[in-house]
Amino acid sequence: MEMKLKELAADLARFTGEEHVFTDRPAAMVYARDVMPYDLEDYNIPYAVVRPGDATEISAILRYANEKQLPVHIHGSGTSLVGLARPKTNGIILDTGRLQAIHVFPERGYFEAGAGTHLAKIRKALAPHHAMLPIFPGSELVATLGGAVAVNTSAHAVDAALGKPGDYVLGLEVVLPTGEILQTGTESPRKPAGIEATKFLVGSEGLLCILTKIRMRLVPMPQSIPIVAYYSKTEDILGTVMGMYRQGIFPPMFFEYLDEKAAKVGFEAVGLSTPAGAVAMMSVHSWSMAGAEAQASEFLAFLKTQPIMEAKIVEDKEEWEKIWSSRAEAGNYVYRLGYTFGSEITPRVDKLKEAYQDAKSVVLNLKSYKNPEFYSFGHIGAPTIHAYAFIPTKDIPNDVKRAIVKEMREKTEEINIRYGGCGGEWGLTAQRISFLKKRYDPAYYELLVKIKNVVDPNNILNRGNLEGWV
Amino acid sequence: MTIHELKELLLKEIGRCRACRFCVDVCPTYQTSQGVETFSSFGRLQSLRSLLMGTLTLEDSISYALYSCLQCKRCEVICKSKGQNLDICALIQKGRTLVSQRLVEGVGHERI
Repeated sequence: MEMKLKELAADLARFTGEEHVFTDRPAAMVYARDVMPYDLEDYNIPYAVVRPGDATEISAILRYANEKQLPVHIHGSGTSLVGLARPKTNGIILDTGRLQAIHVFPERGYFEAGAGTHLAKIRKALAPHHAMLPIFPGSELVATLGGAVAVNTSAHAVDAALGKPGDYVLGLEVVLPTGEILQTGTESPRKPAGIEATKFLVGSEGLLCILTKIRMRLVPMPQSIPIVAYYSKTEDILGTVMGMYRQGIFPPMFFEYLDEKAAKVGFEAVGLSTPAGAVAMMSVHSWSMAGAEAQASEFLAFLKTQPIMEAKIVEDKEEWEKIWSSRAEAGNYVYRLGYTFGSEITPRVDKLKEAYQDAKSVVLNLKSYKNPEFYSFGHIGAPTIHAYAFIPTKDIPNDVKRAIVKEMREKTEEINIRYGGCGGEWGLTAQRISFLKKRYDPAYYELLVKIKNVVDPNNILNRGNLEGWV
Repeated sequence: MTIHELKELLLKEIGRCRACRFCVDVCPTYQTSQGVETFSSFGRLQSLRSLLMGTLTLEDSISYALYSCLQCKRCEVICKSKGQNLDICALIQKGRTLVSQRLVEGVGHERI
């Protein structure tokens, strides 16, 4: 399609003002770039970036896009790890970055924030009200509330302890692809029962609407107690997680692990002595310190029934900060020194050990790149296995990177299918249509397409994500 | 260092950026522009990389983005702790050198 950029810029400027429209190619490429390890190509470089200030402006843009049959790709902050943020076709990027207002209503028991608000800013705004934002991605400095709710991810937290953002969302302001502005949900802390639009718009990954404002319950800030456990091998940590679920022990809100190699590089980076094996780090939470202490004590007693080398409550704040940040440092190591290709495997919990072994085998026997290193760390209590293929060089051709991404995705999808999982942290739809078709009855994918067609008849929003993409 | 070496160095160093965007929010020009990513350290590095790779030709918006950097190094603090530990401001400075000396390929360079 031949695009007349001056005309497009003038048209979009009618809705937002010209200072919020960019049709220069550098801006388009900056916004479209994400962490996918290969470059943009002509087919997915946007024509324009538009930055509306409210739902009314977004409505006008979407009506225009429908009239012109122009795809609109929604941009929060572009931190998706799996390509959700990258346009799949030429079109307009709609940046939610100006939707930044935060209003806390303690007397009503909720807060409201614009979809483009960065999570760290919301956490800061909630702190004086002793409230916690129940979303914990590593990218919270810049990740947006709209993105987290659109994916419905609590990220690093254990679902069984905290739930998902959708459990706390009371209502939404959204713009439908055809331009209608909807208010959903309630202003009461009591969530609506029964069929209600909020429930299926949360987690819809920008396929059904653009979130513009989100109302969430104020969650009282809990008290927490940190625990570290040292194991001789990773498999024993997996056994602990399996035992925790099997015995009905209330899970910690955070239950992270570092496999043997990750523990070594992570601990060394923070100046702690190298552990002999793998490390698990947990944080138990309760609404009172007495409750947290009781829970920590019970969890520690459970850990001592496991094949641990040592487990303890970490009293020293500085020591805990080092232990906790060792996980991020392990991530820094693999991402700084080469290319790292990740995966998200969320198996049935009684199959955790088999899934882990399968994931390790996939990485070590990769066909698209010989002899990568295997690392694994992440949110094992959830349970999530992040199996990483680490290649200690930055010098890999684009087509090889693309092949590795594809192989890792397809083979770890098979593990999820084999062990009944589906992912639970990353917004995977853009990459995993083939997975959905294999995992469920064909009618499942057909249902998604039917819903999309009803709500977005011209397939304007995030085109390509539901069609499947490498 | 020859111009060729300088370009190679820039491409190699900027190639280490994994686009995590953690540096974006601390950039004062990003903040004052109400969050335009082109005016963040991430945006500057990506534009420079595309320019050096020949995916972009030099145009005013790139020069403006590069020269609007305040060289405050706030992005480097974040990149050191959470990203790739890049010397972002020095890379931008080297990019300015190439641009100001009209040493970057591109049809628009004569407009500088």
